[in-house]
Amino acid sequence: MSADKKFLLRAHEVTVRFGGLTAVDAVSMDIAPGELVGIMGPNGAGKTTLFNAISGVTPMTSGQLSIEGRSLAGAAPHRFAAMGLARTFQTPRVFADLPVSENIRFGLAFAGRRPRKYVFWGEEQGVPWALRDVASILSVIGLSHLADLPAAAITPSQQRVLEIGMALSTRPRLLLLDEVAAGLTEIEVEEMARLIQRLRDELDLSVIWIEHAVKILLQHVERVIVLHQGQKIADGKPSEVVRNPEVIDAYLGDEMVDASEGLT
Amino acid sequence: MNSRTLLWRDLLVLFGLTGWALALPGYGSEFALSMALTCLMYVALSTSWGFFCGTTRYLSLATSAFFGLGAYTTAMNLDSLPWASAIALGSGIAAAVAVVMGLGVLHLRGTYFAVLTFGMAELIRHAISYYEKSVHGTVGRVLTTVPDMSTIYHTVLLLAVLSVALSIGLRRTRFGLALLGIGGDEQRAQTLGVNTRWVKVAGFAFTAAVAGGVGAAMAVRWTYIDPHTAFNPFIGFQTVLIALIGGAMTVWGPLIAAIVFSILAETLRLQAPQIYMMTLGLLLILSVLYLPGGLASLRWQTFKDWRSGARQWWKDLRYDLSGDKARDKKRAKERRLVGG
Repeated sequence: MSADKKFLLRAHEVTVRFGGLTAVDAVSMDIAPGELVGIMGPNGAGKTTLFNAISGVTPMTSGQLSIEGRSLAGAAPHRFAAMGLARTFQTPRVFADLPVSENIRFGLAFAGRRPRKYVFWGEEQGVPWALRDVASILSVIGLSHLADLPAAAITPSQQRVLEIGMALSTRPRLLLLDEVAAGLTEIEVEEMARLIQRLRDELDLSVIWIEHAVKILLQHVERVIVLHQGQKIADGKPSEVVRNPEVIDAYLGDEMVDASEGLT
Repeated sequence: MNSRTLLWRDLLVLFGLTGWALALPGYGSEFALSMALTCLMYVALSTSWGFFCGTTRYLSLATSAFFGLGAYTTAMNLDSLPWASAIALGSGIAAAVAVVMGLGVLHLRGTYFAVLTFGMAELIRHAISYYEKSVHGTVGRVLTTVPDMSTIYHTVLLLAVLSVALSIGLRRTRFGLALLGIGGDEQRAQTLGVNTRWVKVAGFAFTAAVAGGVGAAMAVRWTYIDPHTAFNPFIGFQTVLIALIGGAMTVWGPLIAAIVFSILAETLRLQAPQIYMMTLGLLLILSVLYLPGGLASLRWQTFKDWRSGARQWWKDLRYDLSGDKARDKKRAKERRLVGG
């Protein structure tokens, strides 16, 4: 039980099968509070399926899953959200017809809702100051100036940031980011990485971050998990993982070893 | 306008319309009253349908089943129960059936959901027919103790006002927001903490409760009911059509369309019975083509756009037919040759 308390998320031998295809094969991982973990792997390695499994979107075929020692295997996604697990989707899935501010308000009204101290006034209990209302969340992600536009009208890269804002509006403790930097320019990617680090530091979040831009990922995370054909083939500090022969073979290639000078 | 002024505007409009409908029996003829009753029936049906099916985009064709269940409940219980209880019972039974049906089929989307709700409606109709035939040995029922017209009118009016008022009010609550989220992206709404299953079932049950209540009240208008008339699928289709023509996402669209549609249908049926259905179908096609957002999306600008569009079309046509176009083409060709 004490081991369970130490970790925010514990996934044990999570397996997802689609018919004959094993998309995720007995992957185990433990995420400590405040950790920034990266997940990488080639296309079809099962990264997104793993995310879908640990956020309840796709039911697991077998395995155990718990947040703060409470088992969540087989629960519906809204239970995961209520337990403080928030996620983004690979392709932005904002509510296109609603204004940007309503998109943020949505999460606050459901998974992010906390009891108020007093019935008619007073603050909601146990809410980080930066996530107290729609305006403050918009200023955290830097979209305040777009609050009244419909979400369909903003650019795709802004929609990615809005996705993160929607995830934050559930006032999470664990944030799952699925390729939030895909298709962004280099400067935008760097900004995104800084935003993610800032969120982790300021809001005391644990973050799991899937990304194809390997360099940027390795620079910013403290731990990296490598998936290959549904299996976990490495789990450790970025500097160790890039030297792991199996990882080089499966995914990175030789040149990353040279580029990895100065990693933690 | 912010959301609070909009709420007040909507409530005031509703209040005004209610007053008008209340005054109608005072000066209207018998015919006007029965027309108003049809209008109110469709206002209640299509507003409640639009509240759930419009916002979530779950196209339900089961309205006729709930309507028929309400009607049959009245037919069986009117002798033993007071009027208000009979209505409440009809609406309650319809809602209960909707909860069971919803738990079964609301995980399906799109065409599958539509077809399955229609199938369920047919199933209920045949089940009632079978029950009547084998248990009571009848094919229909004659209603003997029928309340007077004004009671029916006021009951249906109450149901219509309730359904519009709830649709105005609930839209602004978390429940309404959840329905909107389900319509936008159901899975996303789920990952943001919405228990979509219960929200959908509750919304579906609301639709069914209104339809059941209306059915229960309207049953006595016919004095003789059998499963064929009570579960007439036409009522369900008409509800969907009205909501779509009016603009299913909006509050006032279904209401306006219900009134326009009922009056139009009645007038056409009396004036031109041969082409009645054809005209309605044509109007439906035109409205889908040129007004996809429904009647509620009509603005002054829409008429202006149509007018300028028609003028442009006429101008182009004249240009085409006059031979100017061919001449202009020829000249442009010559100019290119000279220039090149």
